[in-house]
Amino acid sequence: MNTLIELKNITKTFDDQQVLKGINLKINENEFLTLLGPSGCGKTTTLRIIAGFDEADSGELLFDGIEISKLPPYKREVNTVFQKYALFPHLNVAENIAFGLNIKKTDKTVVVQKVEKMLELVGLSGFEKRDVTSLSGGQQQRVAIARALINEPKVLLLDEPLGALDARLRKEMQTELKKIQKEVGITFIYVTHDQEEALSMSDTVVVMNDGYIQQIGTPTDVYNEPENRFVASFIGESNIIKGTMIRDCLVSFDGFEFECVDKGFKENEEIEVVLRPEDIDIVKPENAKIKGTVESVVFKGVHYEIMVRTELRSYMIHTTDFFEVGLDVGLTFGPEDIHVMWKMV
Amino acid sequence: MLVRRIASLSKGLYVLLCFAFFYTPIFVTMIFSFNSSKSLTKFTGFSLRWYTQLIENSEIMSAVWVSVSVAALATAISTVLGTITAIGLSKSRKIIKEWLTNINNIPIMNPEIVTAIGLMLLFSAMKFEKGYLTMLLAHISFCTPYVITSVYPKVRGLDVNIANAAMDLGATPFQALTKVIVPMIKPGITAGMLLAFTMSFDDFVISYFVSGNGVMNISMIVYNMTKRTNPTINALSTIVIVVIFVAVLVVNVIPKLKNKKGRKINEKNI
Ligand SMILES: Nc1ncnc2c1ncn2[C@@H]1O[C@H](COP(=O)(O)OP(=O)(O)OP(=O)(O)O)[C@@H](O)[C@H]1O
Ligand SMILES: [Mg+2]
Repeated sequence: MNTLIELKNITKTFDDQQVLKGINLKINENEFLTLLGPSGCGKTTTLRIIAGFDEADSGELLFDGIEISKLPPYKREVNTVFQKYALFPHLNVAENIAFGLNIKKTDKTVVVQKVEKMLELVGLSGFEKRDVTSLSGGQQQRVAIARALINEPKVLLLDEPLGALDARLRKEMQTELKKIQKEVGITFIYVTHDQEEALSMSDTVVVMNDGYIQQIGTPTDVYNEPENRFVASFIGESNIIKGTMIRDCLVSFDGFEFECVDKGFKENEEIEVVLRPEDIDIVKPENAKIKGTVESVVFKGVHYEIMVRTELRSYMIHTTDFFEVGLDVGLTFGPEDIHVMWKMV
Repeated sequence: MLVRRIASLSKGLYVLLCFAFFYTPIFVTMIFSFNSSKSLTKFTGFSLRWYTQLIENSEIMSAVWVSVSVAALATAISTVLGTITAIGLSKSRKIIKEWLTNINNIPIMNPEIVTAIGLMLLFSAMKFEKGYLTMLLAHISFCTPYVITSVYPKVRGLDVNIANAAMDLGATPFQALTKVIVPMIKPGITAGMLLAFTMSFDDFVISYFVSGNGVMNISMIVYNMTKRTNPTINALSTIVIVVIFVAVLVVNVIPKLKNKKGRKINEKNI
């Protein structure tokens, strides 16, 4: 796959506050890449630098291998879908979508055809003459997407495009967006702070925190192999336990040694272990190294969330089986369920 | 029951009295502009005598021209200046924003006479020859704050990303301004424009102080002529009243009609 956009050591400071502290990122053609992170971590700022609304203080921004930091937004081959849509209320749906083409003085009949095609793509055929302020949030969002895509950009930037929608519509639009991306076959750079959304839609997830990139990987990678405590706790729920890497494939925590599959750490290095709640099995106490008592049970719809109190800590376990509070139990997990991470300084 | 009746009756009477107080002088002026004799107390018959005299009086006609042209130019220039300032203001830092909006209110609140004397002194200090140009400059200066005041709230109401969205779609900054920002804040611009026009058109105090060399606008010439009875003034005043009335009507009625039309279109679509 070809690299389309490359960010090299990008930094940005607003009023003495360093918002981006050296972002390095390669974005491929046709990739659905998501910037995921908590509020204020610099996702929007990164996107605005790519779009050209802000300029980085230092670092390089390459597009197709060419430095574009100084290029104004109207000369870049990217288009943006804004969080609050930023539609033009004095224009109707068709005029909003045609805005980019009209600026380029495209032939009228071509414009009409393309607008129609776009409306079909986003499922709004027949809405040409409607006033944009009379549309629902989901419909306005579709207009915003059509307005951007009609310019046939190489990259579409989306800043929390579903943030203003209710849960059900969000789900619907997620599937739709993914479908649209496949259909037009261009790169999507998507910003969200919803980890579920990021995992279900993306080819690549970029986890950010406090102006740094924490991890880049496929959704399965960042979920199963979190590189540090932040990623592990931000994505999904997990038990994070301090431990020691005795040697390759042998880790010690909570006073026991366990076989694992991780390699490449120093001998006796201090590390942290992630155990996902759904990877832990509850068994009879005599069949397990770690023993404890069921502390609480909460029904979560599909599974029970069970807290088990052991000598050193409480473990969270997700299981479809029911266990009574006060029961003595043991906890087991396989070598591949143990994820060893670098300890955060 | 009776008490309430009397109360509501007296309320109506009060409103009526107020209106009578405001409008009687205007009506008297208008009626006597059509009087056939010179009397300002006895209506002796209908005639357009004073209107013909008005048209034949070159001094008055040149004052009309001064008023109209100054108002038109001052409106055009202050609308452009004020709109650009309002847009710039919305992009400034918060502290600058607060200061400038407060400073902008000073000329509006200031007694006109102070502004007038200030401008007069300024023009003398700068050795400007008093006349048409000084009057025009003065009018631009006191009209611009009104434009800023009516445009700024509209600009502030815009989505912060609206200009970015336009540029993102390929518009140059100038195109973003003309094709998106200006159409969106047009109601504010129109209101400011009409306000500026009426302010300039009926200004007396400031014009009186900054003008010279025989350049007079309507208010000034009316003031000069009131020293003797001259019903031509009534004719002139009537015309001015009609012009102002139409302007006020336009300001108040057009947006309402537009709203109604807009709503109808929406209803049709739903
Ligand atoms: N124009 C600006 N001036 C000053 N500070 C800014 C500006 N834009 C962003 N910031 C600051 O930079 C930091 C990062 O902002 P950014 O908008 O990139 O966060 P984000 O990750 O998009 O967060 P969210 O999920 O809340 O949208 C925040 O602390 C914000 O206050
Ligand atoms: Mg943001």
